[in-house]
Amino acid sequence: MNATMTLSALTALTGLDVFDYLAQEVSIPVVDGLQAQGDLIVIPYSLLADTVTSAPWTRSENVPLSGVELLRSAAGGNPHSLVADEGGCTWSTPVNDPRRLALGILDSRATAYLIHPEHGATGIAPGRYVIGRQREQGIGRTSGRAQLVAD
Amino acid sequence: MSAAPFRSAARPRAAFTENADPFSDYILVVEAVRDAWLRHGLCAHPSDRTTAESAVAQLYRQSKSREPEFVWVPSPSAGSNRIAAEGLSMPMSLEGNGIHGATAGIATMLSESRKCMDARIKRRVSDWPNERRAVETARVKPPEDAARVGISPDRIIRATVWDSLHTTLFDGVAAAIRTLLPPAVLGVTWYGQQEAHRVAYYDTYRRLGLAKFHSHDDALLDANIALTGATGWWWAFDDVCVMAERPTTLHSEPIPGRVHNEHRLHHSDSPALEFQDGDAVFVLHGTIVPDWVVRDPTAERIARERNVEIRRCAIERIGWDTYIDAADLALVDQADDPGNVGGTLRLYATPDGWGRTGRILLAINGSPERDGHRRQYGLHVPTWISSALDAAGWTYGLGGDDYARLVRRT
Repeated sequence: MNATMTLSALTALTGLDVFDYLAQEVSIPVVDGLQAQGDLIVIPYSLLADTVTSAPWTRSENVPLSGVELLRSAAGGNPHSLVADEGGCTWSTPVNDPRRLALGILDSRATAYLIHPEHGATGIAPGRYVIGRQREQGIGRTSGRAQLVAD
Repeated sequence: MSAAPFRSAARPRAAFTENADPFSDYILVVEAVRDAWLRHGLCAHPSDRTTAESAVAQLYRQSKSREPEFVWVPSPSAGSNRIAAEGLSMPMSLEGNGIHGATAGIATMLSESRKCMDARIKRRVSDWPNERRAVETARVKPPEDAARVGISPDRIIRATVWDSLHTTLFDGVAAAIRTLLPPAVLGVTWYGQQEAHRVAYYDTYRRLGLAKFHSHDDALLDANIALTGATGWWWAFDDVCVMAERPTTLHSEPIPGRVHNEHRLHHSDSPALEFQDGDAVFVLHGTIVPDWVVRDPTAERIARERNVEIRRCAIERIGWDTYIDAADLALVDQADDPGNVGGTLRLYATPDGWGRTGRILLAINGSPERDGHRRQYGLHVPTWISSALDAAGWTYGLGGDDYARLVRRT
């Protein structure tokens, strides 16, 4: 996949859908720093190298063009999907994270894209990243504990 | 469409472009068929029991099953309860021949009939270039515009009729009704009026003379048309067929930004969907919510709600400004949201003695909604946080300094 991918080209290539009102023909920026897509965040590994590590039970897989589903929304639909040219990126999960937010570690030698029906797509430049979830403070019965954001 | 005057067989797309008018009549028919079925799909009148029973009896007969006794129930969940209480459903197995009896017979017959009709339709689908793009274009453009840019009639009918009704009825209304039933309903459920996308689709081809079906399939389509236009959910068993009444109330609104008359359930003061026996679903602009969100959305209840989507619906019902006032939230800090142009992060403190401690971070989505607005979200964060950037960083397990380096938010 080249660096000037548009949303319509990306959805056509991967077979994944995004909502029709999102700008389809604008090229998708490719970012090598910190970026967020809704309740998911892509963090350069250097920021969390001391916190997030792989474990003996971590499994790595190639990221297919048809996508790896990272996280489904609370209502069951609208997943965040990670896509990349076959063989260009690996996704390793589950990983050690005392914060319990990391979904996994992305190692990419090519541009990878994060796609979500409501949020569109964003490009991730080659590199090593932690992809993690968002949390909020527990309330009511779970007061005091953090819980994951149910989008 | 075959009867339309092409100027030259070699330039069909040019003919579509220059000669869009002859298609208007076809498109009017397609939209009229779709809208008629949408009305059937959203109909909240009592079922036409005679028509429904006679159509189902025909399906039993044609699938070589004995006609059943009909049992009418006031709602789908009453139907599901009845099936469980009377042990009507035979255990289904994936081994051997799978499901048996009347259910299997009817399901197999209908599925084979659709396969035959699809084959007849497919026979006429030409090799249009850029097929994938055509599907997308047909979905987002009004049919007249799609025809004008050379999208094939098949794609237009698919988007205008099947996809539109599927979105409104199958994905919308039937999904809302399912929330009233236990997760596992015994037996194969047919949704009746909410399966209108199927009959409308084949009916459109037949009415326009775009496909000719086998007489056997025509007869089944007629039975299904009668059934879909007459009633709601039903379950076929060997001796008994359980038939649920249609809802008594159904409120919907057009989905903004859609071009094929798609609707979503919505009523801001009462259940959007209700059955004779009082079974009801509250829905705000397509989001299924608990009754308090509609009936009594107080700041306290909102603060206790776990699901952010439901909380957002409740707060939007009373308005963020009102909510912040009513909940007596004091602004602690605010900052530009990094990577999110035009977005501001606001950190509010909740008052003491409110039954819980904490602060609320008000943030805005990176991507717009269909109506162009960006959604606001309130997230609870720990009390010790006093900067808006630290609060946003904390939600992702980062410090405020790191979060400030966020490049892009979608």
